[in-house]
Amino acid sequence: MGLNTIDAKMFANMFLAGAKNLENKKEWINELNVFPVPDGDTGTNMSMTMMAAAKEVAAIENPDMASLAKAVSTGSLRGARGNSGVILSQLCRGFAKVIKEYDELTVPILAAACDKAVRTAYKAVMKPKEGTILTVARGASKRADDLAMAGEEDLEVFIREVIKEAEIVLSQTPEMLPVLKQAGVVDSGGQGLVEALKGGFDAFLGKESDFSLNMETKAGSAGVNSNIEAQANVEIKFCYCTQFLIMTEQELSQTREMEFKNFLSSIGDSIVVVADEEIVKVHVHTNEPGLALQRALQYGQLTNIIIENMRLERDEKVSDMMEKEMQRVPEAKEPEHKDTGFIAVSAGDGINGIFRSLGVDDIIEGGQTMNPSTEDILTAIDRINADNIFIFPNNKNIILAANQAKQLTTDKNIIVIPTKTVPQGITAIINYVPDISAEENEAVMCQEAEHVATGQVTYAVRDTELDGRKIRRGDFMGIGDSGLLSVGTDLQETAFDMLQGMMRDGFELISIYYGADVEESAARELADRVKAAFAGCDVELQSGGQPVYSYIVSAE
Amino acid sequence: MERMGIEMSKIAIVTDSNSGITQAQAMELGIRVLPMPFMIDGETYFEEITLSRREFYERLASDADISTSQPSPESVMQLWDELLADYDEIVHIPMSSGLSGSCQTAAMLAQDYEGKVHVVNNQRISVTQRQSVLDAIALAGEGKSGSEVKKILEEDKFNSSIYIMIDTLYYLKKGGRITPAAAALGTLLRLKPVLQIQGEKLDAFAKARTVNQAKSIMINAIRSDIEKRFGGVSPENQMYLQIAHTENEAAAEQLRDELAAQFPDYPVYVDHLSLSVSCHIGPGALAIACAKKM
Repeated sequence: MGLNTIDAKMFANMFLAGAKNLENKKEWINELNVFPVPDGDTGTNMSMTMMAAAKEVAAIENPDMASLAKAVSTGSLRGARGNSGVILSQLCRGFAKVIKEYDELTVPILAAACDKAVRTAYKAVMKPKEGTILTVARGASKRADDLAMAGEEDLEVFIREVIKEAEIVLSQTPEMLPVLKQAGVVDSGGQGLVEALKGGFDAFLGKESDFSLNMETKAGSAGVNSNIEAQANVEIKFCYCTQFLIMTEQELSQTREMEFKNFLSSIGDSIVVVADEEIVKVHVHTNEPGLALQRALQYGQLTNIIIENMRLERDEKVSDMMEKEMQRVPEAKEPEHKDTGFIAVSAGDGINGIFRSLGVDDIIEGGQTMNPSTEDILTAIDRINADNIFIFPNNKNIILAANQAKQLTTDKNIIVIPTKTVPQGITAIINYVPDISAEENEAVMCQEAEHVATGQVTYAVRDTELDGRKIRRGDFMGIGDSGLLSVGTDLQETAFDMLQGMMRDGFELISIYYGADVEESAARELADRVKAAFAGCDVELQSGGQPVYSYIVSAE
Repeated sequence: MERMGIEMSKIAIVTDSNSGITQAQAMELGIRVLPMPFMIDGETYFEEITLSRREFYERLASDADISTSQPSPESVMQLWDELLADYDEIVHIPMSSGLSGSCQTAAMLAQDYEGKVHVVNNQRISVTQRQSVLDAIALAGEGKSGSEVKKILEEDKFNSSIYIMIDTLYYLKKGGRITPAAAALGTLLRLKPVLQIQGEKLDAFAKARTVNQAKSIMINAIRSDIEKRFGGVSPENQMYLQIAHTENEAAAEQLRDELAAQFPDYPVYVDHLSLSVSCHIGPGALAIACAKKM
């Protein structure tokens, strides 16, 4: 009895529902992070990547498969942030390449699209690691191929089996990556992929009927323009967002509930009807709010009635944004053209100031707490009028997004220096030599950045076990370039122990950047202790003002 | 003495103490070195004559007010007059015209000497200026005239470069010698700026956080200059490599070993930077220079 084809409208709904499900589960996915650091952002990153694509999908008025594929591909590519986000965007891109050729999707087409998706994603990652989102995607794709080869045509069976396989592979990820097993979690990126697929399947089955996107966007200068476009392009079909509660005498029977839902769908969309003993919560977008209220009166008294005109609200929001954009214009004079520009990803007043004083033109706020998207990086690239632009991601989770931005830039020579920490970025840019070519500088900067050892102190957000050490929630952890260096309940001790683990012969300089939550006097105390312990080294103390990391320490 | 029937003129070579050539070395080389005058807390001293290196650094460390000036016209003319009693011509090699007015003053004074004094404007300083003096001695020995020596040295002026890592920006700022570009090096972090002297300009070249980073920047820069400007690193293309420093003997010796390992075919000469340069950049500086063999 099952469906054998998916049309454009259905595909759009499935994609939106997938994005929504990912969005709903993002906090939970965040907590699957191996390192129990605050704001380990896999869920947020994947969700924001997918939502960027969903916004473009939602903005298409009369979707056909080709336009949907383009929206999915470019939206996710530009919205990509974090490693999992970038891989997800590559999966989307590969998938889109296949489906754009068809009006309706069948089992063989979907299997081919999955295969292309996995191949594209593997190609985008320099050293693919097993036990991650890539493995989950490949397992699912393999199952899809097997089913297609076996002649399965029923899409419901097909999708259910593919998701089932994805979940099985996901459950095996701890066996492939020891760090996962130790932390007692499955791979967070793989989980994100499964949630997106499940959301899409729910829409296919008709379980999910609300395809409206929660358009809240994180504040930030980057990406404002495209938001305006996305907002302005969304054609609002039903004007009034209508919400109210019905106080029923007795629980609404299922038949009456269905009857009411059917009525509401005849006058609008985005319908939510939740019956709970004596209260029914109702939400509908409609041009006839009066009719909805009238009908509801049959079931009981009404209360908490909220009716909002979405068209006006949207216009306000758009004009608000336009206004802000206009205000930006006077200061955004065409910057003077120069040979070379610099972009650094950084967080914290002190560290931002250091980067600026070293000649960085544009700072993208971000880091561990907030991985900037490819789009954010592209916007920064746009703002700098230079032939060569060096980008310092300063976090291993941002390097892929920076590389993606490089690939999407055609009019400027982009050089990504793959700095994994802030101190690496600082040393790399210090070693820039104006008189030599960009290529020569790239070599020098990469080489010098590699000579920097970095350690960062933060606190654990949950109990776990890492590198054989028990960590309790609230403990301080000193994390070095290749793993955990120290754990303790005292911040200063943990920082000092971490530094001892970092030191090697030949180091000349130790730099300590203290975070927003550390008092200068405490930082000075640590610096004095370090000076006494490592007499052969210069010790430099700086106020970094960074969030999350109480101390960032480097030795070189 | 006769050569091809023309009488060879007798040439005296003069330089200033910025060349790093001491009075004793000058005696050995058969040349004359004008001592650069210093003003320390209002009193005038002459490098090596009334002011030893040790005294100088002690005064510098005690934050005395030290400034330099060029040799007085009187002292220059006195020396020339004295020399011209025994010599036919003088080749005068002062410190770079980009860093001091000495050269311009000397050129002006030379106008009154009927073509007997040839002031070389080849924009050198320290170890590269010293190399020019050695070259001048050799050229004069080959029988070149004063004007020929001047011409050859000036044609050769861009065949050298110097990179200097300074330990602190304090003295450059204090002396008001800091160029706008170099001032930009004064960032929130403590850095080891690397400056470059090439021709007339003394300017910021790069910056480093540690001495080792600065050394590798300078070695790379010298290598690149030799490769791109001076004909490549090879036994056939002889270059002089030089190291100069301010109160940084041990580091300079270590750098000599590193440089000798990197460029086994070239000789490496180590010297103190002259005090008149030291007073602008302070102690702890390290410089690498190269000059193409003529």
